[in-house]
Amino acid sequence: MSDAGPPQPVTIPPQEDFPVEWASADEQKIPWELDLMHFNNVMPPLESEYWAQFMHGADLAMQHFEMPLQMVGKPFNYWLYTGIFPRIPPEKMPEQTKRSDEVLMATVARLQERWDEEWLPEIKKQIEEWDAFDVTAASTADLQTHLTEVWAGAQRLADIHFQIIFPVYIALSLFDDLYNDLFPGGVLESQKLVQGFDNKTLEVARALWDLSRKARASDGVCEILKEHAPGDVMNVLIESDDGRTFAEELDAFLNLHGKRMSDWGIRHGSWIEDPSPIMVTLKGYIEQEGDPRDELEERAAERDDVVAAARERLQGYPSDVRDEFEHLLKAASTAVVLTEDHGYWIDFQATYRVRRVVMEMGKRLAEAGTLATAADVFVLRTDEIAAAVGASPAADHTGLVEERKKEMEHFGSLKPPPFMGTDYGPPPPGLVSTALGKFFGTPVEQTDATDGTVSGNAGSPGKFRGTARVVRSLDEAHKLGVGEILVAETTSPSWTPLFGTAAGIVTDTGGILSHCAVVAREYGIPAVVGTGVATSMIKDGQTIEVDGDAGRVHLFD
Amino acid sequence: MNIIWLDDTGCQEVSRVGGKVANLSRLAAEYQVPPGFCLTTDAFQEWAGHADGCAEELPSELLRQLSDAYGELARRSDVEKPSVAVRSSAIDEDGGVASFAGQYETYLNLQGDAAVAAAVLRCWHSTRAERVAEYRQHAGLALDRLEMAVLVQELVPADSSAVIFSANPVTQNRDEVVINASWGLGESIVGGTVTPDTFTIDKRDLTVTESRISDKKVMTVRVQDGTEEVPVPRFMRSRPTLSGEQLVAMARLAMRLEDDMGWPVDVESAFCGEDLYVLQCRQITTLTEPDQK
Repeated sequence: MSDAGPPQPVTIPPQEDFPVEWASADEQKIPWELDLMHFNNVMPPLESEYWAQFMHGADLAMQHFEMPLQMVGKPFNYWLYTGIFPRIPPEKMPEQTKRSDEVLMATVARLQERWDEEWLPEIKKQIEEWDAFDVTAASTADLQTHLTEVWAGAQRLADIHFQIIFPVYIALSLFDDLYNDLFPGGVLESQKLVQGFDNKTLEVARALWDLSRKARASDGVCEILKEHAPGDVMNVLIESDDGRTFAEELDAFLNLHGKRMSDWGIRHGSWIEDPSPIMVTLKGYIEQEGDPRDELEERAAERDDVVAAARERLQGYPSDVRDEFEHLLKAASTAVVLTEDHGYWIDFQATYRVRRVVMEMGKRLAEAGTLATAADVFVLRTDEIAAAVGASPAADHTGLVEERKKEMEHFGSLKPPPFMGTDYGPPPPGLVSTALGKFFGTPVEQTDATDGTVSGNAGSPGKFRGTARVVRSLDEAHKLGVGEILVAETTSPSWTPLFGTAAGIVTDTGGILSHCAVVAREYGIPAVVGTGVATSMIKDGQTIEVDGDAGRVHLFD
Repeated sequence: MNIIWLDDTGCQEVSRVGGKVANLSRLAAEYQVPPGFCLTTDAFQEWAGHADGCAEELPSELLRQLSDAYGELARRSDVEKPSVAVRSSAIDEDGGVASFAGQYETYLNLQGDAAVAAAVLRCWHSTRAERVAEYRQHAGLALDRLEMAVLVQELVPADSSAVIFSANPVTQNRDEVVINASWGLGESIVGGTVTPDTFTIDKRDLTVTESRISDKKVMTVRVQDGTEEVPVPRFMRSRPTLSGEQLVAMARLAMRLEDDMGWPVDVESAFCGEDLYVLQCRQITTLTEPDQK
């Protein structure tokens, strides 16, 4: 049988309502695609510039691991597209892939070490350095210099971000493969051996839980949380006798954990600027029992049992198998924690410091009349900001901003093409592509749609029947009632405190290794991820049953 | 004598232990053979004498001796409940080894004297099985002269197993050692359920002249109270079963055995960690006469 070879590349025809002018013939050769898990909406120019730079960080990490692939990100009509494609000619790919696998596996073997001794110290040091700069007191010229430095520092952190996640998801994917080879069974079984480890996401949720116990102890505080809009709660607490102490506790929480945006990127508000999301979460937690520490302990105990059972069975196997099992179990145990912790430190804490500088710059530009309002700074690019700083007379970009906003509104109202440029077919299986496939999820055909079933990827075990609550953004999070099923397009780590309120999760995006699935497992609630269609097929208030192990959702009435 | 140990010279008397065990006993003196003991034809006769050869239990004295021997095996291997293989070795009237393939009973990975006793009983009962009777009638052998010895031997927890030929069984080249190796216990190779790796080694300078690594899909592993053939995890399927050093060690072993026996040999062997064990050694019967040099 002859080898058919890779499919011929096909130029993707443009979508009529989405005009694109390619910067070069090479640009059209790239397989551009939308990442709806992370970027499911239009974004303003500064945000796209930030993300394009972030994707360049992925490219730097690919070089670090000597991967034969390269990555690029670019906005088209305000939607961010990314492209992963070969760096070298096809005939050189197999050898380079082999070499790069070795380099990746060397880090897989040292994940905890690299995190403890290299990555986390550098991230913390950078955050400390940035915190030492007094943003409000600096002159605008100094602020501009600082912005340039911060932007460059963010590039380095993006590089580190991907140096972490490639081997992290490879470790989890390889352990999953090995476990399934040795113990065929449910697709979620392998994850039991790495559940119940503490991580920053759970730490934040625990801190909120503890706050909710304090709130419960005070009728006055409960009253304020119940009666007032989330955005007003803080002020009312500060003014009230009952609430003042609690307000201080909240403040402490926000100083420690609140310097993070409510979603990926720099344009969303942070909890410390606007603690409304925290108030919504607290309201939900107040009505509940069940200390998350007990949950964590139970998960850890179950994990220990499953690991012991696996080890007992493997005693009769060749030593190569036992050695590989222990090696990958150790790597996967660190990896599962890092899936959350890298986000806490880089995507959220460090990126907040970038936002802070940008927001201050926006304030200055608004004061100078360059912008109508500080938040409009996101509609400019860094070169435009640099040119505007100290311009005399002050530049007036208010018209430009309005124009761009109109364009954003237009393109935000349509459905962008999922793919553009050139289609090369599916990537050949390999360490990274397989791992990322489990992170993003494999597309699922809705074969039983007429039967009232939505199909997806198994995310977290268990079955639950209840009321679906379709939540399209964190602004709508207050809609979610205790014990309801959260239905969302995607859930970033900032959504996860809501998992303490929900009794089940269904998403459009994600696979077995996505943030949603990992955290749903830690909360012990059923989840079906990567359905593609949940938010369009499930109606708000509908009765549904989530079957996490099967990866299916049954719709009733 | 009901029980004789492999390393006891009395274990080389074919009429009491069968040809296979006698052969192994000879090897045990010079090679790394897993320790074990044999329940002789005397023990068989004693059991067969009760209840017309249908007794469901071992006679109590024999059972005690068996327990003691298992205990001694535990002491020798420094393991509380060693895993053993129980294999039957039938002897017919002229003292040769009953050569009917498929009539041998083998029980692998048993622990504890009760499990061993049960396996011994099953071996003895098999002499009464209809198919044995049929075969012997067909071959003109007397039914009542069928006797059986049973070997209880420590099971090697093999990481990899191999059949080593001290001459190339396909090309007849006597300057080559050929090794078929796979993961886990040798049952998958001998049983033909796995396609093993094949290595060819030049006996003159011990260089590996050919390595054919196959996609090894299954392996026999030890599980609770027995063995099981399981899928090989994907990372190991195309991994070579043996290292260069291990190949040389096996080649040397086969060459030494060939020298000792005086004929080309087919050796069943296994590695457990760094230790290489001999499990069986037979003459290769399919070679033509060597060329005159």
